[in-house]
Amino acid sequence: MSVNFDTPRGSLEAVRGVDIEIPAGMSVGVVGESGSGKTVMCRAAMGLLQGSTVNRTGTVIFDGHELTAMSKEQVRELFGSGMAMIFQDPLTALNPVRRIGAQVSEGLRIRLGMSKSDAMARSKELLELVRIPNAAAVLKSFPYQLSGGMRQRVMIAIAIACNPKLLFADEPTTALDVTVQAQILQLLRELREDLKMSMVLVTHDLGVVAGNTDYVAVMYAGEVVEYAPTKKLFADMRMPYTEALLDSIPRVDHKSGTRLSVIAGRLPDPTNRPAGCGFAPRCKYAQDKCTTDHPELKTDPDGHIYRCWFPIGEAL
Amino acid sequence: MFLAVFGSLLPFEHWTFVYEDALGVTPFSPGHILGTDNNGYDLLTSVIAGTRMSIFIAITAVGLGGLLGSALGITAAFIRGKVDLVLSTAFNVGLAIPNLVLALALVSVLATNVDMTEVVPIWRRVTVLVISLTIVLIPILGRIARGATLTWSGREFVTAARSMGMRDMQIIRKHIVPNVLPALIAVAFLAVGVVIIAEASLSLLGVGIPDGGSWGGMIARGRNDLEYSPHVLYIPVIFLAITVISTNQIGEVLRGRLDGRESKV
Repeated sequence: MSVNFDTPRGSLEAVRGVDIEIPAGMSVGVVGESGSGKTVMCRAAMGLLQGSTVNRTGTVIFDGHELTAMSKEQVRELFGSGMAMIFQDPLTALNPVRRIGAQVSEGLRIRLGMSKSDAMARSKELLELVRIPNAAAVLKSFPYQLSGGMRQRVMIAIAIACNPKLLFADEPTTALDVTVQAQILQLLRELREDLKMSMVLVTHDLGVVAGNTDYVAVMYAGEVVEYAPTKKLFADMRMPYTEALLDSIPRVDHKSGTRLSVIAGRLPDPTNRPAGCGFAPRCKYAQDKCTTDHPELKTDPDGHIYRCWFPIGEAL
Repeated sequence: MFLAVFGSLLPFEHWTFVYEDALGVTPFSPGHILGTDNNGYDLLTSVIAGTRMSIFIAITAVGLGGLLGSALGITAAFIRGKVDLVLSTAFNVGLAIPNLVLALALVSVLATNVDMTEVVPIWRRVTVLVISLTIVLIPILGRIARGATLTWSGREFVTAARSMGMRDMQIIRKHIVPNVLPALIAVAFLAVGVVIIAEASLSLLGVGIPDGGSWGGMIARGRNDLEYSPHVLYIPVIFLAITVISTNQIGEVLRGRLDGRESKV
């Protein structure tokens, strides 16, 4: 799948030929720095990007349905019960003037056709499921009366309300502090197991991915640059970008006072992509070929996918 | 407001009743608290009748204009693209024409008879006046609705609602309207004041409600006798001023509340 935006500066290629599979019941992490196309990819997959400037090409197959060939109406039928999304910022993803109860019960009433009172009762159960204390009172509150963590729990309750088969969690913990992050991730993990959902967990935090996913896709400049089972990826990474990303995380076993390594430079301009590898100017292993030829995806015999001419661990 | 609602229940003669023994009596005279004018009309009953007429016209026009304007404005902002372009251009054209001139043109075209000798019935005048003022109001309120919708429709919760499978109409009804409504109500109160003045101006120019049936009409009639009995002019002016100031004040307070609330969310 690819997504292009028409901009005054030309066509902006936000997602470029991403091809990943999310196995049923599994959790796939999508990591990458800001602007690498993670969010756009998720929204495009669900068909939530709207407007005349959006061009989505390629295919999205969900549960045997080819979403790009379906009408808006048909895709809408899948929302909620088929696919659901948790949004990045729980503050803006909740309507400030409507009570929590109305917002949680909305999906139940639209998708499952529940009566108002049934939907409210179920909403209370959902809030309890996401461990919100005093659920009855929270149902009657407005979003601004809740803390960030509570709001994110409400978002999760809304997303899982209709038992989706696939849950997109778009940086569900970015807006939260670390202790709450851990609770939310724990909650997501448990819910996923209980409800047998597949999950796409989008984050820029490799640490979050390591503990919560079965597979990882690393995105860079709108492309998937590495895809492997989580354990394998961390044990044996092939893509220099992934390594650089991991190196930029502070580690306990570093001597104190060690300078945190950063990835110098920025993402390439998505309206004017370089001919070679997008990461080449920032890559410490880059060679001449990297700046002239765009690397294709290569697959190791064990299924480990990467996009690099000179992957780590190969004789140069 | 009290006068407007209960005016017809008060024990007075109809406002067109002529007190022939009391022409141009000053205010606070026995039997005529606000005095009478030179034709012997009692000013208190006239003002009450005028209040009813002016406020009826203002509220109807603002109600209709608000309904149509906000429907168009919200649609434009929600759909964007060509629809938005057409509607916004129409709003801007409407705003570019001075309100009074537009209303004047509409009234004089719609509320005149081909046969000059035939009198235009008052209900037709009122209807035409309401329609003209509504047309004047649509672009004003439409643009505000559009602007407010734009700020909300880009919010994440609209996308979230879409991801839950809500239809556009449901999203507009449940997510956009509740957010846009407070801004519209505040502006609508300000618009009531504007409309009252516009109606008075039109009546003053002789194309509104004739013969003192509204505040503007009373002012129009009173200005001829300014030298002899100034109170005939002052009384409707005072009522008009008080009402307009009150609606503006209510509008301001509502807007203040709104801003306070908005900064909280």
